[in-house]
Amino acid sequence: MGMRLSARLKDRQLALQKLKDILLFLENEMCAMGKPLNKVFEDLAKGNYGGVWTPVFHLSGGILKEQSLNAGSAWRIALKETAATLPLTLEDLDLLRDFGELLGKTDREMQQAVLNMEKEKLAAMEQKAREAAETTGRLYRNLGALMGAAAVILLI
Amino acid sequence: MYKAQRTGDLSRISCNLPDRIKRVVDRISPEMASRLEELRINAGVPLMGVFSGFDRFICEDGTFTDKPETAFRVGREEVEELFYRLCEHSVYAYQEDIARGFITIKGGFRAGICGRVVYQGQAIKGMKDISSVCIRVSRELKGCAEEIFPFIMSGSHDIWNTMVISPPRCGKTTMLRDICRIISTGSEKAGFAGLRTVIVDERSEIAACYMGIAQNDCGPRTDVLDGCRKPEGIEMALRGMSPAVIVVDELGTRQDAESVRMAWNAGARIVATAHAYDTGDLRERLGFGMLIGKGGFERCIVLGIRDGKRWVKVTDAYGNLLYRNDKAPGMHDGIFRMHGHGDEAVGEAERQAACASEA
Repeated sequence: MGMRLSARLKDRQLALQKLKDILLFLENEMCAMGKPLNKVFEDLAKGNYGGVWTPVFHLSGGILKEQSLNAGSAWRIALKETAATLPLTLEDLDLLRDFGELLGKTDREMQQAVLNMEKEKLAAMEQKAREAAETTGRLYRNLGALMGAAAVILLI
Repeated sequence: MYKAQRTGDLSRISCNLPDRIKRVVDRISPEMASRLEELRINAGVPLMGVFSGFDRFICEDGTFTDKPETAFRVGREEVEELFYRLCEHSVYAYQEDIARGFITIKGGFRAGICGRVVYQGQAIKGMKDISSVCIRVSRELKGCAEEIFPFIMSGSHDIWNTMVISPPRCGKTTMLRDICRIISTGSEKAGFAGLRTVIVDERSEIAACYMGIAQNDCGPRTDVLDGCRKPEGIEMALRGMSPAVIVVDELGTRQDAESVRMAWNAGARIVATAHAYDTGDLRERLGFGMLIGKGGFERCIVLGIRDGKRWVKVTDAYGNLLYRNDKAPGMHDGIFRMHGHGDEAVGEAERQAACASEA
């Protein structure tokens, strides 16, 4: 149990790190290649570069293409639908809800600035998740080991 | 007798429109929709449809009127939403197009946009506060150049340097596109083998490329330099693609004329268009005299509308008439009686004075 909780904390940190990597992909595809968002999201989902975020980008890309909603709405819907598959806390999901809000609304220069801002935000979130994984994760692991030892002693 | 095939469907535009405008456009009768040339969507003013030579406001039930007060009015947010939809919610992906004032939509349609222009130094960087969008319905008329093609071919493997001239909105680009298709595909009827062709499509109107794919049929031997300025494009095509024919739209500057000369010196044929009423009009333009007459374009196709009827004629470099048809194949005439729903006669259109002059 303690091991599982500790692993979930590690997964959370890795998920945030992955999203930070995805921002580099977005930056290249959007700002350098000038591809429209639905195509970028589609490519991201197809290439399986997205890791745990693949379902979110797949769904957002589909919504952008078929329902002609803006990136902010598409992202919010996709995040809500796939939240259960992501190893994130409610606080993380709250902070990520507005991720798509400014995407696609301005020129490349401004999009670059938007992505940089998101990178900084994610770096702070990841740092917090890393600390949590180290401290709370160790605590869960130790507690798990102690509980296991206690159970063995009781059984003997 | 050749029959032109008209392609282009309003439903392909309406899927981009905000819900309220889409409902109105979907109610337009198929007969009127097939003749609609432009849809003008302006914040705070009535929705307008432009036909060949006249325009009418569009009512909420899809009928047409000349009274703006009874027409359907478009909201400011709707124009903004339309703009984002046309950009696929990715403004950055269309920023070069926006700076030039238009967006090419999937299907070959072009949307002109107006708003507050943003400068960066001397260059236009983009546009904000979008106030109006004019969607031009692009219609391919496959076969509209079949009849005149024998007059511009020079044997089975070559063509004459050809200039298509007319006042605006008389079908120059449509004719040019079909000529390009025939040159590239070849024509069994005319006994013409296809030639390697490059289109320098500065305003994305000929091939109407969307994400690199030509939306109009320009033939199997055609390469497209999309969004490229004519002088640079002609040079790039000559250096890289070794074309037999280069197709360009709307020659207008001295630099364009010099580039055409350069292509001729390199052995490529040019098929081009220019805004003018006739060859005499074009000859008087600065830098253009050398392109008309001896040593210039060997064939001139002149398009126009007289008394509401479209006409086309082909002359040689000296102005000798080679062909004339008072009904340009497949093209709608300028005057026709409009009918709304329930056969309500709305009005008889007037012709644009600009198109009435005959060469």
